[in-house]
Amino acid sequence: MKINKTISLFSFFLLAQFGLFGQDAAAPAPVATANQNLLNITYSNFLVVLAVLVLIGVVLAGLNLVYAMLELQKFKVAEKFGIDAVKDESFSSSNSLWQSISDRLWKLKPMDKEQDIDLGHEYDGIRELDNSLPPWWLWLFYGTIIWGIGYLFYYHISGKGPDQKTEYVAAMQAAEEQKALFLSTQANDIDEKSVTVATDEASLAAGKEIFVANCAVCHGQNGEGLVGPNMTDKYWIHGGSINDIFKTIKYGVPEKGMISWQAQLNPKAIQNVASYLLTFQGTNPPNQKASEGELYEPAATTTDGSVSDPAKVESVKKDTTVMQK
Amino acid sequence: MTNLETFSYDNKIVRNFAIASVVFGIIGMLVGITAAFELVFPSLNLGIPEITYGRIRPLHTNAVIFAFVGNGIFTGVYYSLQRLLKTRMFSDLLSNIHFWGWQLIILAAAITLPLGITSSHEYAELEWPIDIAIALVWVVFGINMFGTILKRRENHLYVAIWFYIATWITVTVLHIFNNIQMPVHLFKSVYVFSGVQDALVQWWYGHNAVAFFLTTPYLGLMYYFMPKAANRPVYSYKLSIIHFWALIFIYIWAGPHHLLYTSLPDWAQSLGTVFSIMLIAPSWGGMLNGLLTLRGVWDKVRTDPILKFFVVAVTAYGMATLEGPLLSIKSLNAITHYTDWTVGHVHIGALGWNGMLTFGMLYWLIPRIYGTKLYSVKLANTHFWIGTLGILFYAIPLYWAGWTQSLMWKQFTPDGFLQYGNFLETVTQILPMYMIRAIGGTIYFVGVIVMVYNLMKTAFSGKLIANQEAQSAPREVHVAHKNEYWHKWIERKPIQMLIVSAVLILIGGIVEIIPMMMIDKNVPKIASIQPYTPLEIEGRDIYIREGCVGCHSQMVRPFRSETERYGEYSKSGEYIYDRPFLWGSKRTGPDLHRVGGKYPDSWHYNHMYDPTSMAPGSIMPMYPWLFENDLDTKYTAAKIKVHQSLGAPYPDGYADKAVADLQTQAKKVVANLAKDNIKQEGIENKEIVALIAYLQRLGTDIKVDNQNK
Repeated sequence: MKINKTISLFSFFLLAQFGLFGQDAAAPAPVATANQNLLNITYSNFLVVLAVLVLIGVVLAGLNLVYAMLELQKFKVAEKFGIDAVKDESFSSSNSLWQSISDRLWKLKPMDKEQDIDLGHEYDGIRELDNSLPPWWLWLFYGTIIWGIGYLFYYHISGKGPDQKTEYVAAMQAAEEQKALFLSTQANDIDEKSVTVATDEASLAAGKEIFVANCAVCHGQNGEGLVGPNMTDKYWIHGGSINDIFKTIKYGVPEKGMISWQAQLNPKAIQNVASYLLTFQGTNPPNQKASEGELYEPAATTTDGSVSDPAKVESVKKDTTVMQK
Repeated sequence: MTNLETFSYDNKIVRNFAIASVVFGIIGMLVGITAAFELVFPSLNLGIPEITYGRIRPLHTNAVIFAFVGNGIFTGVYYSLQRLLKTRMFSDLLSNIHFWGWQLIILAAAITLPLGITSSHEYAELEWPIDIAIALVWVVFGINMFGTILKRRENHLYVAIWFYIATWITVTVLHIFNNIQMPVHLFKSVYVFSGVQDALVQWWYGHNAVAFFLTTPYLGLMYYFMPKAANRPVYSYKLSIIHFWALIFIYIWAGPHHLLYTSLPDWAQSLGTVFSIMLIAPSWGGMLNGLLTLRGVWDKVRTDPILKFFVVAVTAYGMATLEGPLLSIKSLNAITHYTDWTVGHVHIGALGWNGMLTFGMLYWLIPRIYGTKLYSVKLANTHFWIGTLGILFYAIPLYWAGWTQSLMWKQFTPDGFLQYGNFLETVTQILPMYMIRAIGGTIYFVGVIVMVYNLMKTAFSGKLIANQEAQSAPREVHVAHKNEYWHKWIERKPIQMLIVSAVLILIGGIVEIIPMMMIDKNVPKIASIQPYTPLEIEGRDIYIREGCVGCHSQMVRPFRSETERYGEYSKSGEYIYDRPFLWGSKRTGPDLHRVGGKYPDSWHYNHMYDPTSMAPGSIMPMYPWLFENDLDTKYTAAKIKVHQSLGAPYPDGYADKAVADLQTQAKKVVANLAKDNIKQEGIENKEIVALIAYLQRLGTDIKVDNQNK
């Protein structure tokens, strides 16, 4: 009995949930645009809605459990006082609202009238009853079919449902707008022209974290160079100014094995890590890789990279030819 | 009651299949546990190629599906069919051919899969000679089953047998159409369909392998063993009829839900979604008929472990068949697909539904065919609790892991960057969950060992009743009476039932697959897409051999989080020379469709030798043997010819030049490596060069097209 009730509860939950599917696709066709927003919200927050429904289901199941325990308690009390007659009545023929709903959802033949629906045949001792299809199950089945027709109509006939390419384009556009909005509130418009060496401790600490997580694999924990070049000497393959380093990190030099980081690090982060790796200069760690590239001597006052020197100009030239290829 | 005929049931064949099921169950689960631990400790493969994750994953899935569950099906079918039809099996010889044939196929699978001999279609990895053997043995089973049905003493077929018939015909159709291949040599073949078409055929098969190998035959078993064990009538005959026909008709359509948001055309995806949702009620029909058969005997469930196993099995079935349709809704699928959620989901089915039902069935059947009582009910109860606990410990961490990882993949910072741009971060995050999952699997396995002990003790305490005597009146000519159900007619006509089932299951497949093959619009051409070079073909075959597809997808879906991470989303026109398609179904590592040109050759060289050298903390195994094995070019020309005959536009007579071209390209890779100071003796002849060439080609053709614009 208890189990039956739990199952019927579950079916309630399922029906409620099914209603949601119906709304998703089938309803928008006749509804005006104002409502479409609500539907969109429901759709995009599908999981929240699902979670709420699960929660409702759990609460209902909990209530049902309490009810069943009360019934059981009644039964126990009755038993204690030797009232036998109560036994079956209290469970099966209670006329509560719940019971009548449950009866209607299941249309089960009572156990004692089972022989009326026995099909009168047995297969290796297995008999079959002819209970009707549980109405809730049948509604569920019809419901899913109607939902299916609605879904196909909405997405493939009405012309209103977006295909996945449209969905993608819309998502990218929304993201761009959101990003632009956010960036307009931030001073984060650093690029390879405007970048300067960050010297504050927080930036360098952040730069170190990025370096250890992403760069050390190829350039060594102390910038001594492994697969990638040594960063502690004064020789640079793609230029040693902060601008050049920023650029190398941002766009990468794919044919040399340096990947582009602009999809993974924002400009501030690139500035931080570029600034951090400049602190390796002259540290002379053990196991250094041989020097590669050209000598770059920063001009005395060029921490901001604004002063150019021959070495830098040359390396930039070389770099751009590589980029264009 | 006059005129009783005496005959006997063949219990020996039932016993044999039962033993095979248990033995291969143990092996399949052990392989699964090994694979699970390898995910956490990649060096557990001890550097042996044959037991590396990519190769044993298909071994695990095949062993569990076809050896454990397959033999379980045959155990139950051979037991119930004879009794439901009141006759012995049609032919003992065919029974034995079926038994030994099936075990030999399993043996062949257990040898070839670790050797890397695979055709890569999931759950259909076995190469063409074994495919043919499977078809033959399956036909033997069919003849034996239909022979038995035709010589029955019972007029009508019980619902269990409807399911057996539908299973047989559908598996036949699926197996044949998913294995249309052109052999290159004995252990290598090429699929006739390519790219998106190949993907659709494979997942039409893959989904329905679940439907018609793991579900419908087990529903048949449930319809026999559940009422037997509970000693209760089946709840609703009407429900049996409706849910049976609805189930087999609708199931076959749902395959495309494995390909949501891929480059499969939208209309096919929508059919997959819609039919999956419509499948909820027919699936639940089976659960209801099972659970409500227990009406009135729930007190027995408390004491009888067999009923407990059945209840958990049917409940797991109900959960998995609700979860499956929900996962077919695109918004939810966008989150769960390619994650461990899917792995958790299938294990609810495999451990819960198939496993628990098999165990319940064995506990019920072994004492009966040995004419004795179960050795220990208490141990069976213990097994039940251990098993249930194992399932929970297995599934919950994977749901958690899948959800967590997916959210991490999709997380953006406010300034538009991926929060976890490094894929590896999202993997190391869920490693503890992988660990708990492996332990969960081990717990479940311990339960099985307890069962083996219990069943062996049971068997030794009795004696096999190899031929069990039975009596029944001969079949009478049936006279249809007035008020009988319309459905009774087809229950008397097994051949008609076979034909109607076949028609129903063909409809969905035809509607979805034929337009994909016939209408060019479904696969828009891209001018710059070229077939693979000989070296790349060889590299691709190494990729297939090592089972890379088990962890790496090649399908960038049209989501911002994927195009930011991997590059432009994948187009169906890019895959037209992909035989087989290698889209994958799980991302334990990152997608590789746009990996070409992303890293230098030297990066791949170092990474394949020791992944942690390029990605510290990586759980990808090392592949040192690719640096030792010489690339086998004996069949290169033959492969080119086969691809050519299937439509790859190589110039006439190109096959003869293939090996020379291969060597030229290999030298280029070697030159690239040398630039980065990587020098290895004779490297131009090693397998690694071919693999690098293939990886560097992946997803790059479309870039040429973009540059020309």
